[in-house]
Amino acid sequence: MGTVHARSMDPLPMHGRDMGVHPDDMIEVQEAEQETKQEVLENKDVVVQHVNIEGLGRTKEDLLGYEISEVFHAKNLIDVMKKSHIARQKLLRLGIFKEVEVVIDTSDGADALPNGLDVTFEVTEMKRLTGSYNTMVGNNEGSMVLGVKLPNVFGRAEKLTFQFSYGTKETSYGLSFFKPQPGNFERNLALNLYKVTGQFPWSSLKETDRGVSTELNFPLWRTNHTLKWEGVWRELGCLARSASFAVREESGHTLKSALSHTMSIDNRNSAIFPKKGALLRINQELAGYTGGDASFLKEDFELQVNRRLVWDSVLSASLWGGCLLPIGGRPSSIADRFYLGGPTSVRGFGMYSIGPQSEGDYLGGEAYWAGGLHLYTPLPFRPGRAGFGDLFRTHFFLNAGNLYIWYILQINIKLSLAECIRWSYGAGIVLRLANIARLELNYCIPMGVQSGDRICDGVQFGAGIRFL
Amino acid sequence: MCKCMSVCCLFVFSEDQILLSDCASSLAVQAYLRMCNLPVHVSCRSNAEYMSPSGKVPFVHVGNQVVSELGPIVQFTKAKGHSLSDGLDDVQRAEMKAYMELVNNMLLTAELYIQWCDDTTATEISRPRYSSPYSWPLNQILAYQKQWEVRRKMNAIGWAGKSLEQVYEDVSQCCQALSQRLGTQPYFFNKQPTELDALVFGHLFTILTTRLTSDELGEKIKSYSNLLAFCRRIEQSYFEDSQAGSSSRGYSKGPSLF
Repeated sequence: MGTVHARSMDPLPMHGRDMGVHPDDMIEVQEAEQETKQEVLENKDVVVQHVNIEGLGRTKEDLLGYEISEVFHAKNLIDVMKKSHIARQKLLRLGIFKEVEVVIDTSDGADALPNGLDVTFEVTEMKRLTGSYNTMVGNNEGSMVLGVKLPNVFGRAEKLTFQFSYGTKETSYGLSFFKPQPGNFERNLALNLYKVTGQFPWSSLKETDRGVSTELNFPLWRTNHTLKWEGVWRELGCLARSASFAVREESGHTLKSALSHTMSIDNRNSAIFPKKGALLRINQELAGYTGGDASFLKEDFELQVNRRLVWDSVLSASLWGGCLLPIGGRPSSIADRFYLGGPTSVRGFGMYSIGPQSEGDYLGGEAYWAGGLHLYTPLPFRPGRAGFGDLFRTHFFLNAGNLYIWYILQINIKLSLAECIRWSYGAGIVLRLANIARLELNYCIPMGVQSGDRICDGVQFGAGIRFL
Repeated sequence: MCKCMSVCCLFVFSEDQILLSDCASSLAVQAYLRMCNLPVHVSCRSNAEYMSPSGKVPFVHVGNQVVSELGPIVQFTKAKGHSLSDGLDDVQRAEMKAYMELVNNMLLTAELYIQWCDDTTATEISRPRYSSPYSWPLNQILAYQKQWEVRRKMNAIGWAGKSLEQVYEDVSQCCQALSQRLGTQPYFFNKQPTELDALVFGHLFTILTTRLTSDELGEKIKSYSNLLAFCRRIEQSYFEDSQAGSSSRGYSKGPSLF
């Protein structure tokens, strides 16, 4: 909660926090009096006369006015404390202060009312420039990652971050500028410039994206909306000499210029192990009308519903789906299609290894659906309760999904029969990492396997952020 | 006994996009495959260069094998039992290799120089054609990237300091060497064509039938009448099934690379 100091109405003069007089010495004499006065104070109407912010350096004051304005409307001391706490949280979420302390004091001065209060927020601004340096070692590759962050660049909570990764195989970088609207932090604008490289062994494909994007986020009633324009120069290549010809045909450069809109409603109590609530996210992307080579309309949605059952167990149902419609007669690119399967999708199958494939390289689909039904329970016998044990859950799951195509490929394609649904069931243990990611270790039994799918029956390990 | 091969699929750039040097290489491979009596189907893709395992066009897709450039293709067909140079002895084979190297080092490099290092040609012909399948700004980026790459290569082999006149002179000398070797024979070795014939035909025919900013290159070749007759002979023998006046689908004769 932070430190909130509330001082009683004491007739002794007070200058700042270090009074030179120790309250402990006076407790015997004044305690009874203070308690009475405090009790009186709680029920008494107060007026907040001044709200000050101390410790500002480069932050502009007009930005903070909105965050602290609510405090003026407090009517009694408890209200003042609550509203100050909320204001403190708001100031912290701007991301420009290291610490915020709230001091509530009686007001003094010429215009001081007898029940007037002054609230002071004592803030410590973050340093102008923070840097980080990491080295990472991965699959036959080492890299050096340099990060630089400038919080509060122009004084109104704008943030500039730069990350650069120099590796033995690839280099990538990202530059990002974030600007919230003063007074409305949830409405913000982000500009990104990036180069990322990815390797997709399930398709024998490697992709290098160099792009620029602008994004506008805003809340509307209970939903969050994001409008984004993105321009990406995509370079696709074969990962190995033995890549199939269908993937070889996709090599080369394309330019994608796309507008997208995302709407999401999330009233779950937590992103990782939600006990109740639902999430609905709908995304659409239109490429081609603002330039570029790629031309398509893509829709996808994600729905998750959670409900608490007896004995602390939670029943969770999720449904994903999507559809890609190429416009203008050109076939879709392998980089835009949907993929299905793996520890984060339909469990029991290899990573993105369901659906149309050519010589072992999976090509993705143009429409898909996937559903999951999970039952999460605390670990049996609840070891480490209210501590380490709470990070784990056991879960029983049932996953199903299917992938469809409507493009026609010419050379060496084995189309898997799209009529049959792939599904799997099993059980496992889930571990929560911070509040962002989760690790799973499951025993899976895949069913409805079509020829060409790669399965992973038995024990499967998965790590990620978004799971079916 | 020759083993039968399934139809080869030859991948090149599309007609609006292809440049002199790539056209010459592709025609050489086509001529070679026709000389071997192998059925070949030409497929045009704008990303042929990136599809190729070595990054160069043309490349051939047979069964599930992908082979690019004339040298490896010759070896590949040899492994399948089709070869044009079986009748040559070792001395002749060494000579053939030497002349093929001459053509690659002189004619091909001269073509690349004219396309990318000569500013007029690069601005008016090469960059617009190379970038035609892409949209802005990708077309500018890719065209300039290719130009820088070729110029760097020219620097590395020492051609950057040469002027256009010197390059034309080099081409002329190369043609003179070829003309002398050819003499009055129908083909370079005996009466049967070899891969050298295919390579020389590819380059010379393309230069003769492509319009650049100046006709000097074509004129240099025309001054050697036996080379001119050689090109006509091969065209008539192996490309007669195509439209009159055009070597094969996808390549223009007379007007231009414009």
